[in-house]
Amino acid sequence: MVRAFVLLSLGGPAGQAPCRVLYARAFGIPPGTPPGGPRQRLRRKEQLLVVARQVASQCQLLQSSLGRPSSPQLPQLPDEPVSLQDALGGLFQMPPGDPFPDRVTVVWLSVMALAFALVCDPQENLSLAEITLRRLAPRLLVSLRLLSPGADVLLRPDAADALLDRLLPHGQMLFLNERFLQAMDRELGIKASR
Amino acid sequence: MFSAAAESFLRQAREIHEEELRRFAGRVSALLQGPEPGAEAAEGLRRLHLTVAATKYPRRLDGRFVELLQTVLCSPKSPEQVQVLCAAILREMSPCHDLILCCDEIQDTKLLSLVSSVLLAQGNKKGEVAAVGQRVVKVLEGRLPKGQSALFLLPVLANVISLSPESLTEEQTDAVSRKLAGWLRYASTQQGVAQPSGGFFSSPRTKQPAPVTEVDGAVATDFFTVLSVGQHYTQDQWLNVQAFSMLRNWLLCYGGQEGKAPNPDDKLGVDRSVTSMVSTASSSSRLLPPKEHLREKAFEYCQRLIEQSTRRPLKKDDGDLQKACLIEAVTIMDIICKQDSSYVHRAVSSLKILHGRICGDATYARALLPIAQFFLNHSKLAAVDLDAIYKHLFTDIPAQLFHNSSLAFEFIQFCKDNNQLFTDTSSIFRQSFPNLFKFLAWNSPPLISEFVDLLPFLLDAGTAIEIFHLLLDLPCLTAALDIQLRAAALPTSEKATSDPAVKPATCLEAFRHPLYKSTFQHLLRSRSAPEDAPESLIPLRQLLGSLAGNPRVVQCAETVPVLLELFFRVVAEFADGCLINQLVVLLLQRSDQLYEIPAFKDDVYRSGLSGSTCRCPTTSAALWSRSRGSLRPWRPCCLRSPSSDLWPAPPAVPPVPSASLWPP
Repeated sequence: MVRAFVLLSLGGPAGQAPCRVLYARAFGIPPGTPPGGPRQRLRRKEQLLVVARQVASQCQLLQSSLGRPSSPQLPQLPDEPVSLQDALGGLFQMPPGDPFPDRVTVVWLSVMALAFALVCDPQENLSLAEITLRRLAPRLLVSLRLLSPGADVLLRPDAADALLDRLLPHGQMLFLNERFLQAMDRELGIKASR
Repeated sequence: MFSAAAESFLRQAREIHEEELRRFAGRVSALLQGPEPGAEAAEGLRRLHLTVAATKYPRRLDGRFVELLQTVLCSPKSPEQVQVLCAAILREMSPCHDLILCCDEIQDTKLLSLVSSVLLAQGNKKGEVAAVGQRVVKVLEGRLPKGQSALFLLPVLANVISLSPESLTEEQTDAVSRKLAGWLRYASTQQGVAQPSGGFFSSPRTKQPAPVTEVDGAVATDFFTVLSVGQHYTQDQWLNVQAFSMLRNWLLCYGGQEGKAPNPDDKLGVDRSVTSMVSTASSSSRLLPPKEHLREKAFEYCQRLIEQSTRRPLKKDDGDLQKACLIEAVTIMDIICKQDSSYVHRAVSSLKILHGRICGDATYARALLPIAQFFLNHSKLAAVDLDAIYKHLFTDIPAQLFHNSSLAFEFIQFCKDNNQLFTDTSSIFRQSFPNLFKFLAWNSPPLISEFVDLLPFLLDAGTAIEIFHLLLDLPCLTAALDIQLRAAALPTSEKATSDPAVKPATCLEAFRHPLYKSTFQHLLRSRSAPEDAPESLIPLRQLLGSLAGNPRVVQCAETVPVLLELFFRVVAEFADGCLINQLVVLLLQRSDQLYEIPAFKDDVYRSGLSGSTCRCPTTSAALWSRSRGSLRPWRPCCLRSPSSDLWPAPPAVPPVPSASLWPP
């Protein structure tokens, strides 16, 4: 099961702009979380921020190991299809208690100065998680106009929800082949890039 | 991209005063209660969502307004977009004290799914998870009204069982198991029909539906699965996809004999299977109890996927899905065999053939892990030559695919999950530790914490010295792997062995030079070789100096101090004084024989010193007399957390809140 989805802006190298969570969706409260009103909500926000920071850190380290510049490339025109060919990605684990009660595996994908991450149960099918991210990313980029100077990502949670409801309903990853995906895109009326 | 506009909106959302927020909520409230809440209401709700989401501390929204959100969410007159936004706000505020939402009376499956997402975000202190589970099962069991689809409900159910599997009674899980079996096995093998476009020139034509095809374009040879392809899909085909997608967790929770959720980490736990007393032949499977019936259908589905997954797909991206399906199918078969060992024989024959087919294909490497896991779990019954399988997995795969970071991660997880394999000194697993370190040398940042967990299982009196040298030469290994990759990419004409009389000018030339070839081979060895003297690496280290600034090498070097401290901590638990002294002497000897990376020597010496002197204080005086004046100040290892020296610290992370965070 996927525990949460996080969409973040990577920010700059350490000391410059911090990474920010642009959109996050948790799917249920993890078992083992002590119940309690505002504390529970705060804990959820903190946990997702910790995930975002770790993703940003891992991404920057990978970029550096590949000899790539850490500053984001110039933004393309918002409607230009984004290629995932140069997208970086990875997997890492977070131990029990830090920040979730149980061990989780985080799968992440980075495009331009953004990253998308799935927080998964440890025994989850990580290949499918990577596929799910590669499908979510271009559709979110288009639907939320993430590469434009606007603020759609903050102001259109319903657009993000609509995509998640199809590709990751209630945190359930789906084994969708390309034709199923096309059928789904037709229903949603979106043109996604590869 | 976090633009200036977004920055500004976020700031405004955070800085809005309570009074202004209340007025704004009042305006939105009026819009929502109006005759037809439209675009303006939606825009207002979006801004409210941002305001609520923008702060870590909860924003107080008027209780009546929160109640209105719930009423609007559940009202059939509300436009869908407005309902979605109401749900989003309620989820963002969760947990809510004054939630009146209840799913008991909701008939519409799409709405039930939306309301469930809010209820499941509450944290289950009022049994919300069970209530949702009960309602969803009730709707699934009953006859769905026209236009309603179970499609929206299966993911809700999957979420419920992952949060609280005991929410469902055995009767309910039996009912759902029967349905799952039906959706898995009996989905239509005809393609769906396109919705009529209704254009000016269109005429209603009854188009003969074509059969679904396999991913390679051939007409489908058997029942419908997630790897079946069509232009349009029917409702039951969508249900087939969803049923398979949730199958593994369902079987883990309810497929066993006890009917409770077993520990999902318990891969090598007590064999809970009971030989099925009922015949497992397909023809009579409809008469099986629901659990066994689903098991049989699930098994058949997995076998079908295995057959489908090695077809060559017409669309490249379907290839990725094939591999993911393969991994899932093998994992599910493993679970089924644990729950009923009578399936082992059938599974083994499929998996042996599969292994033979994919073991030479690097793109299928990740699928080798669940196959190996299956054989490990069922080796007693499998009667298969496992040595060949393990040898290929541990000798060839890391050596060829160390640069595949996803494989590296999963491979080390596999080792951790099966760490008891490393206790047998003579085993192939234990012997292959040099290969395992290649994963770490190349993919340091994501794997260092995994290796901190794994290292203790690799260490004993027999391996300590060799691993010690290996750790100190880890960055060298990174450099050598880099050269190995570049050498492999050269055209064949340039791959000839260099002239032994000519000194190599570059590392790449040295790789093929007779003088350096054997030392490269030692560094890049797949198996433990304790007898080879590390002095032979001295010229190689000097030669690799040109790569010392390579970012990947530097990242690897930064992991060594952590591992070294851990190394000494673990070794101290089993080593006698003789071994400890041997290691300390080696540390001093090696301190002048390290890869020339800035600060590496200091870091290694410091952490090795701290790790060893904490455990052998009698030698500390002798060691300190030899310590170098240029060392940076250090604290003994007991005062440092293992990860404190690892990476440049990210911005300070606020701690997970403790009891004292909130003012009384």
